[in-house]
Amino acid sequence: MNSKTKQHLWYCAFGLIMGGILSLVGFTDFTEVHNMFIFADFRLLLLFATTVAITMAGFGLFARNSNIPKKPFSKGTIPGSILFGAGWAITGSCPSIALVQLGEGKLIAVVTIMGILFGVWGYRKLAAGGMKLDTGVCGEA
Amino acid sequence: MSLYLSWWVGALALSGVVMGFWVAVGRPLGVSGSWARVIMWREDKSIEAAEAPFRANPKILQDALMQATIAHFGEDAVYETVAKNKGISKDAFAAPKAVNVQSKASWTMHATFLGSLMMGGLATALFTGQYQPTFNLGELHTQMFGTGMGYLMTLFFGGAMVGFGTQLAGGCTSGHGLSGCSRLVPASLIATAAFFGTAVVVSLIVHFTSGAAA
Repeated sequence: MNSKTKQHLWYCAFGLIMGGILSLVGFTDFTEVHNMFIFADFRLLLLFATTVAITMAGFGLFARNSNIPKKPFSKGTIPGSILFGAGWAITGSCPSIALVQLGEGKLIAVVTIMGILFGVWGYRKLAAGGMKLDTGVCGEA
Repeated sequence: MSLYLSWWVGALALSGVVMGFWVAVGRPLGVSGSWARVIMWREDKSIEAAEAPFRANPKILQDALMQATIAHFGEDAVYETVAKNKGISKDAFAAPKAVNVQSKASWTMHATFLGSLMMGGLATALFTGQYQPTFNLGELHTQMFGTGMGYLMTLFFGGAMVGFGTQLAGGCTSGHGLSGCSRLVPASLIATAAFFGTAVVVSLIVHFTSGAAA
């Protein structure tokens, strides 16, 4: 099996697992997410914080010297995040969630996905057109 | 009793995904990047095509560089320097170092990832016997944003804000929030504080203006 096929299989495996987990913990449920944001329910908040803590310990112990790319700060970091936060609050969806929702049978998520496609496409067009804000994205850099 | 996994089980599983992804794939986990790569697949393909000859034969690049050097400095000067270098150090004119063409994940890998996120949701719903197609995101959501065209607009423009915002910010919940914060990357900490803070404020506003609080 060549490395390309292997990588595809890894991406597939992690997508399936991550999709399954996000669904099982309720990150795809608007009500749960909304209750997290208004601090009515601390379960997801605790879950997120604990995930970060465990990962931090794991990377700290086993990957201290490895050269994992770090995202640079840019002038787009804050405005972009504000836009994203507002979108997340009203759709209950970050970039992975809309897809998982669709899989779960929340068919209306198709509209959110179309929105995401439009937003990403629009940004890339603007960035290509000389808006010097290309910041690199998750997973590269 | 919640329908969902408890926080610590979820946290163990999710951190396993973040760390496992890095160990297996060698790249930090991040979903918004996958969207970008899939949407820009045409560009991805042209870059790959342009790099292909160099990846197949790094010597082409060296030859091209040498040709340009000769054109610029003249044949005599270049040969003289090369000979001199050869006398002093063998490395100076050694075989070409492999050009750094270790390719990024291709757009098809990212597409596979996005597709399997969806399949993961489907599989979970089927296995737990909860698959039931719906056309809204639950009672609370419709209570806040209504139905009909306005509802669709909320989702579409909300999605567009998520899409545009994560690209501008260079990451999302997974890339900044999990991969970045767990390594205390400054930009990621700032981004996470900004998107989480905004989501809290907007959620509270919607909560108290839509009557959902009553």
